[in-house]
Amino acid sequence: MSVDGLRTELVELLPRLRRFARVLARNVHDADDLVQTAIERALAHAGQLRTGAPVAGWMFGILRNAWIDEQRARGRRTALLAPAESAENVADPSGGEQSDSLAVQDAVARLPEEQRLAVALVLVEGLSYKEAAHIMEVPIGTLTSRLARARAALQALLADRNGA
Amino acid sequence: MTFSEETLGAYADGELDAATRAAVETAMASDPQLAQRIAAQRALRARLEQAFAPVLSEPVPERLLAGARSASAGQRPSNGSALQPRPRARWSWPQWGAIAAGLVIGALLGPLLWRSPAGGTPIDTRGGRMLANGRLEQALSEQLASTQPAGAPVQIGISFRARSGAYCRTFVMQDESRLAGLACRDRNAWRVETLARTESGPAGAGWRPAGSALPPAVAGTLDGLIAGEPLDAAAEAAARASGWNR
Repeated sequence: MSVDGLRTELVELLPRLRRFARVLARNVHDADDLVQTAIERALAHAGQLRTGAPVAGWMFGILRNAWIDEQRARGRRTALLAPAESAENVADPSGGEQSDSLAVQDAVARLPEEQRLAVALVLVEGLSYKEAAHIMEVPIGTLTSRLARARAALQALLADRNGA
Repeated sequence: MTFSEETLGAYADGELDAATRAAVETAMASDPQLAQRIAAQRALRARLEQAFAPVLSEPVPERLLAGARSASAGQRPSNGSALQPRPRARWSWPQWGAIAAGLVIGALLGPLLWRSPAGGTPIDTRGGRMLANGRLEQALSEQLASTQPAGAPVQIGISFRARSGAYCRTFVMQDESRLAGLACRDRNAWRVETLARTESGPAGAGWRPAGSALPPAVAGTLDGLIAGEPLDAAAEAAARASGWNR
């Protein structure tokens, strides 16, 4: 695909890419950094995309890879210097009322990465199992079991919050 | 008839083949519990959609629009770095050269320079370069992240090769200066590329270096310099054995 053609499609896709990234990264700046990285990588590899091929799925895949790379980079940055950071992120001392959306976002953020990815692609972005499994580079059976585990975990987390 | 959670999820997601879907619907008609489980799956999906839907109507940040539209962004070679840091003030060497002399060194290093703690000042300017000195230089040259004691006055973080080929290492000073930074090997010395103050710990509790991530300025410099992956313990030891020469 031509770079110019890709640019037009990317501009239209930006809101969805941002939403997908937000499910993965939660923090708006980190999420937008992911989108930016994905755009740069996509434009550098525009030639790999066949004309007429679905750009959205291709972009979700690039963004997913950028996220995984970023998780690894973050791991090596914090592994030695910040063993306590993950605990800080989980602990939320601020009580008070949270809207349902925030509760849902919190619950999603607690899912293991692979489950969060499945949730982002299927339950938020509305991709088919086939598309999502392709992007995640796993068989459909693996995707469905991750989704089932994610749903069970989310139901439990959100039931806790509702009951609290 | 019993259905697995996978099947009920797939039903809610519209992913079942016609025969299985019909079986679920037949069972649902006579099984209120099953109907309830499916309703819960659908409600969860709706809540997820709703929770993230507002992102779609947020204004897209200009930098992303510019990245998608402008020609220059696309021509930037992909360097494989995971994090393309957003524009932020970086304390690179040229900036140090220009402004550091009085201003920044005064603010960050002043207390160290004047107080001259045991082991000498950690950073010295020689020949226009800001170089690690004293126990900082010693730690950068000798300490291995994999074997350093938790109480070492300088903690080494990540060692890596910069794209220039030089070895670089991040460090955190475990004293009241609360300085973290990144230094690269340069002509038999360690040139300090970035220096930033780490976040302070809770008031009154003293500073807890182990609980602090690298300051953004240092992490950003690392992302900008690193070629490939950080050194693992074996590569770090080998680099030390070579005297940190490329």
